[in-house]
Amino acid sequence: MIRFSNANVTYPNGVSAMKNLDLEIGDGEFVVIVGLSGAGKSTLIRAVNGLVPLTSGELNVNGHQVHDLNRSGMRELRSDVGMIFQGFNLVDRTTVLKNVLMGRLHKVPTWRTLVGKYPQADIDIAARALARVEIIEKTYTRASDLSGGQRQRVGIARALAQEPSIILADEPVASLDPPTSHVVMRYLQQISRELGITTIVNLHFLDLATAYADRIIGLRDGVLVFDGPGSDCDENVFESIYGRSLTADDTMAKQAAL
Amino acid sequence: MSLTDQASTAPTLPRKPGISRFAIGVAIAAAALTIITARAVDFSLGEIIENFTRKNSVIEGLFNPDWGQIWSRRSRGPFIETLQLAILGTVTGATLALPLALWSTDFGNPNRLLRTIVRTFNSIIRSIPDLLWASIFVASVGIGALSGLLALFFFSIAVTTKLTADTLDGIDRGPIEAAHASGASLTQMLRTAVVPQILPSYTSFVLYNFELNLRASAVIGIVGAGGIGQRIEFFRGRGDWEALWGLVVMFFLVVFVVERISVTLRRRLV
Repeated sequence: MIRFSNANVTYPNGVSAMKNLDLEIGDGEFVVIVGLSGAGKSTLIRAVNGLVPLTSGELNVNGHQVHDLNRSGMRELRSDVGMIFQGFNLVDRTTVLKNVLMGRLHKVPTWRTLVGKYPQADIDIAARALARVEIIEKTYTRASDLSGGQRQRVGIARALAQEPSIILADEPVASLDPPTSHVVMRYLQQISRELGITTIVNLHFLDLATAYADRIIGLRDGVLVFDGPGSDCDENVFESIYGRSLTADDTMAKQAAL
Repeated sequence: MSLTDQASTAPTLPRKPGISRFAIGVAIAAAALTIITARAVDFSLGEIIENFTRKNSVIEGLFNPDWGQIWSRRSRGPFIETLQLAILGTVTGATLALPLALWSTDFGNPNRLLRTIVRTFNSIIRSIPDLLWASIFVASVGIGALSGLLALFFFSIAVTTKLTADTLDGIDRGPIEAAHASGASLTQMLRTAVVPQILPSYTSFVLYNFELNLRASAVIGIVGAGGIGQRIEFFRGRGDWEALWGLVVMFFLVVFVVERISVTLRRRLV
């Protein structure tokens, strides 16, 4: 469970990216956050695993008081929260397997990491993660030899390998074409439903958001302006989130048709 | 309308910006600096040519080298010692250079004070040239190969740490963020997200370091730190230029072969 209580984030350059946020996300929910660039989507997601610290307020994630955590507590929390990035963040020079095994780092003793000998149990977990995103045949392929969609699947496998209770996805499909975007979103949705993993996804495109989300959260200038199911998202809601009426840029289907 | 349409006149480009004042300033400063320093050291091209063409035993020795030195038994030992010093110095110094370089980065050493200490240490080591290292150790440890090894050890640290640290500045930070987000420790993050990115470059630097050490190990012998340099110094002291050049030819051959191998290996790596 994730609970923000009157949370604020102000960056050192003075930008206020989260203003008095009160938000609760229950276990197993699939939540999509929408909003303009700079609305605070990345800030919210990165606050959950402590990559962005709160300036004030409280944040409770699975019983951890994130704002109070010391270094080892933070690592403990992060090992339970998987993260997927827009730029994939894979180590291009090494194999898919080595990349996915990075998800096991917290559970594997350091000397084994230095030598590169991971226990069979951890390799099995990695294998299961790879199979779930249907990319196990690429286990020994160099990450740089994969397509964008394949790389993101490896990213998902890496997050899955952590056996997390929460998955955060920061614009996971922004670098992908529409059909591949749907494939990735479907994997995320499936994983969330079948494994009961709380999933928070930042998205640009509203049609993707309404297609896959149980719950949509709209942010505008760091303020939560909408919180409800996709079916409640009408023209007025979009205007309150985006500050203008819907254009072709806001939906993937229309943009693809351009 | 095609771009190479000859019939109509092409549109005029906007006015070309002139040479920046900064560039002009730098050019003038560079020219002035050259003239001033040449004057200060009494640089004279005529004198140089005159000196080289005058009757000169060093140059004469060059055209008549003592080929016997190439397989002289007395030179063989020092040659091998030079090679050994170069190899050992590279292996020890370059091995330590990797952690030193990692500890000088912001992601490898989040503690600002420690980072500054490591960076300062690296700077100091870097500012001492190999011959000076050799002189220091000969004075404190004595004449011989041990001084040479210590000198090359520090010299290797200086060279490889600098090159590796510069490469680390340009790596992709993405995998580092991913490692942090998964709860990895600092060491694990460095091992899985950073080192794989620079391993080919680092190996290339180690090979380059070896090349440099090979040449350095010859030179440091001049101050008594072992290797072929001591033989060269011996012949120089006696004025036996033909033997000296013979040795140098032999040394050149060794260095040439090593360099060819190193360049080929390095090209394959990156």
